[in-house]
Amino acid sequence: MTKRPFLGWFVSPAGLVALGLTAAMAAVFQFSIRTYIPGSLEVGGFTLQNFAAMLRPLYALAFWNTILLCFETAAFTLFLAYPLAYALVRTRSSAVRSFILIAAVTPLFLGEVVRTYSWMIVLGNNGFLNTLLVKLGLVERPVQMMFTAGGVIAALVHVTMPIMVIMLAAGLSHIDRNCERAAESLGAGPIRVFLTITLPLSMPGIVAGFSTAFAWTFSAFATPQLIGGGRVSTVSTLIYQLGFSSFNFPFAASLSIIGLALSLAVIALLRQATRPLERLASAT
Amino acid sequence: MLMHTDRMDAIASGEAGRQGRPAVQLDGVTRRFGDSIALHEAWLKIQPGEFMTLLGPSGCGKTTLLNLVAGFLETDSGEIFIEGALVTETPAHQREIGIVFQNYALFPHMSVANNIAYGLKTRGIDRKEIARRVDEALALVKLDGFGDRKPRQLSGGQQQRVALARALVIKPKVLLLDEPFSALDKNLRGAMQVELKQIQRELGVTTIFVTHDQGEALAMSDRIAVMSAGRIRQIAAPGDVYRRPADRFVASFVGDVNVLTGCLVERRTEVATISIGDMRLEVPAPPLAQAAIGDVVDVFIRPEHLAVTSGSTPGSLRGTVTTQVFQGDHIDLYIDVAGVAREPVLLRAPGIAALSSCPVGTEVGLTVRSDDVVAFLPEASS
Amino acid sequence: MKRSPAVMALRWSGRVLVAAILLFVLLPGIVVAVTAFNDRAILAFPPQAWSLRWFWRAFSYSDFGRGFWNGLTVTLWASSIALVVGAAFAIAIHRYTFVLKSVLEGILLSPLIIPHYTIGLGVLILASQTGAGRGFPLVILTHVLLVLPFVMRSTFISLENLDSRLELAAASLGATPGRILLTVTIPLLLPGLLSGWLFAAILSFNEFTATLFVSSQATQTLPVAMYNYVREFADPTLAALSVIYIAVTALLLSLANAFLGLEKILNVDAH
Repeated sequence: MTKRPFLGWFVSPAGLVALGLTAAMAAVFQFSIRTYIPGSLEVGGFTLQNFAAMLRPLYALAFWNTILLCFETAAFTLFLAYPLAYALVRTRSSAVRSFILIAAVTPLFLGEVVRTYSWMIVLGNNGFLNTLLVKLGLVERPVQMMFTAGGVIAALVHVTMPIMVIMLAAGLSHIDRNCERAAESLGAGPIRVFLTITLPLSMPGIVAGFSTAFAWTFSAFATPQLIGGGRVSTVSTLIYQLGFSSFNFPFAASLSIIGLALSLAVIALLRQATRPLERLASAT
Repeated sequence: MLMHTDRMDAIASGEAGRQGRPAVQLDGVTRRFGDSIALHEAWLKIQPGEFMTLLGPSGCGKTTLLNLVAGFLETDSGEIFIEGALVTETPAHQREIGIVFQNYALFPHMSVANNIAYGLKTRGIDRKEIARRVDEALALVKLDGFGDRKPRQLSGGQQQRVALARALVIKPKVLLLDEPFSALDKNLRGAMQVELKQIQRELGVTTIFVTHDQGEALAMSDRIAVMSAGRIRQIAAPGDVYRRPADRFVASFVGDVNVLTGCLVERRTEVATISIGDMRLEVPAPPLAQAAIGDVVDVFIRPEHLAVTSGSTPGSLRGTVTTQVFQGDHIDLYIDVAGVAREPVLLRAPGIAALSSCPVGTEVGLTVRSDDVVAFLPEASS
Repeated sequence: MKRSPAVMALRWSGRVLVAAILLFVLLPGIVVAVTAFNDRAILAFPPQAWSLRWFWRAFSYSDFGRGFWNGLTVTLWASSIALVVGAAFAIAIHRYTFVLKSVLEGILLSPLIIPHYTIGLGVLILASQTGAGRGFPLVILTHVLLVLPFVMRSTFISLENLDSRLELAAASLGATPGRILLTVTIPLLLPGLLSGWLFAAILSFNEFTATLFVSSQATQTLPVAMYNYVREFADPTLAALSVIYIAVTALLLSLANAFLGLEKILNVDAH
């Protein structure tokens, strides 16, 4: 008997796929240092011009806006998802649990387009929210919500909510309830138990959820494109524009590279910054 | 010395004399996990039909040894033989061993009958024969009619019987039992022990049984290999392990024991004389080979080997009863013996007479027969 | 047991909060559902007259039909390939150590954090450089890359929950490694494999951003067709399509929940 039966069979297909992915990423790298030939899909010689061009305020601002948007989205998502995840894990009624689970998870599988489209109907000038506000007499004329950063964030929060709920619930479900019972027996009230036991112990889930929400938002395209309507420009919308409007693939590639590096750096920083908290949680 | 007892047992066993070769043999088997040695040069011969127990605390290497015999782990050095054939390089599925795990590891997606039939199917036996042998195995473990159930529909005891049937139905060369009773509740455990022992004897299957429970080991085994820190400390029949422990570890791991401080007075080849207070005792000399006359030695005495006499009997130890514990069929007396023991000495008196004859505060004398005493060098120098 | 008014107040405010958040989650779906039955051809709320005509248009619009069948082709191929490749690899990383193990694992899991447009762009450039056309294989390859981490994760979780002693027991009973794989390992992994496949299929069917980059007019999937539609028309056809979408997805998930247990699949099982 070989010590690792079927090792080759198990690994080689995955190796092929990994090779494909690596080649694709290498292609992006390679294009990012090529010259753009206007009006042509061919690329010229090697250059660092693409990266230099990114220092222009237009692009620097797009990067800054994207990161800000991601942070705001992740933070709002966290605040909304935590109570839901808590209720999901802690409710004793299996009907309530199933309902929350289906309600929270279904949007995950609808894809960005369907969800973004539904938010267009909610936020539009003749949409649900504005009609409601006007009917209630709270505003006289419809409030502009489409094509604003606020509208984009609302839709993005909705988009990232399911994955955040899942990750928080996974973290919460692995907390030993006896820790909370012990705290209770020592005289802590429900709020104190939550703040001193549950919250610190759920920190790994929070960190995982927050960074995933950040990465997903960074990756989002349909939402900023359709709800932002060109007035909210993010890295993703810029790349698409450069690629498919002006066919400047080298510049799109270099934007992708910087975007990827930036989001990886932010996620790494986030993990680093929250590490003491996690340690606190594991020590508690 | 270990080899010595092994050979004596081999000669004593008639079956071994007839067949001439051990059912399982380990020649200097070593297994490391990273830097730590899980099993250090284990030498072991198990005779056909023998019930051999590997006894020791967790981490002593007993499960490693079992997994090596099963073929789930590979040896770093040394050889393993099953029925005389070298199997060190043989994969688990060709070793023809039966194993019962602690959690039974019944296939949850198969019925009881299919669990038991699994090993027969791998051997390409025809359907009728499989059905017959499955029924036979179910009858053997008294589960007739349970074949269509799923494992999760069975109680813990029933699951264990299925696991046993599954292991035995392939007529294994060796049956390996990995702490099979630890998941059962106490009442069931005793009954299952008796039943397992009966089945084992009936089938005459060579068995290696792993446990940390010395009671189980003493009750079921033909021989016990006591293990600690990756080494086999002693291989002997239960009575010998209990009465003639080979070293301090075996003496204190198997059964309750009092450790008293004594002094070596005289040493001959086989027997040495020691003194504890006014008491003089003759103990086996080999464990004290390194000691000089006048050295301090630790004397190991079992609670039930101590007897109470009146406080003034010459040659006895004098002490005061500090606690009585009623244990139903016997009384545990804790006796303060100044000078020779730091902790109160435990004396196990049969019956209930001691309850009234030795109330707390009584001055008593303690005696013990030399045959029941062993002495070792104190820990630091051994 | 009596509880203090403060605790009860806390409980009820918690329930109200959860209900409000659930409303936020469900609101767009409800609004879309109502809009879909609006008779008028603009995205206005609430509808003045009711009609089913947008459903008929959703079914008759040829791009949607083609997108649906394209998407189904891509999904079935991609999730099935991902299942075989990902499950086999998950077994390998769970059981064995081998050269480049963590490197391979890192590469294959990286689509979880690499933006989809970057992967789409990469595959597109790769295709143009190697002269490969923008056909179905390209879209399928992209989807395999994107859903593979989910299949790997789901298989890995099942492997963690699989008692390795079951395989040892099978080996002790004489089963060869191949037989153990077929009679013990795979049957016990089946729920995990199925749920991994289902996850991959749903994600692949809905994937948009990367597909936008690598698909052509001939291979565009349903989400891409929907996106193109929104850019051109502002009538409720898409709302009608969304309703069908939501209904089918919720149905599939309810089925998955009933038969496989969503909590287990998502690893949020508290019990």
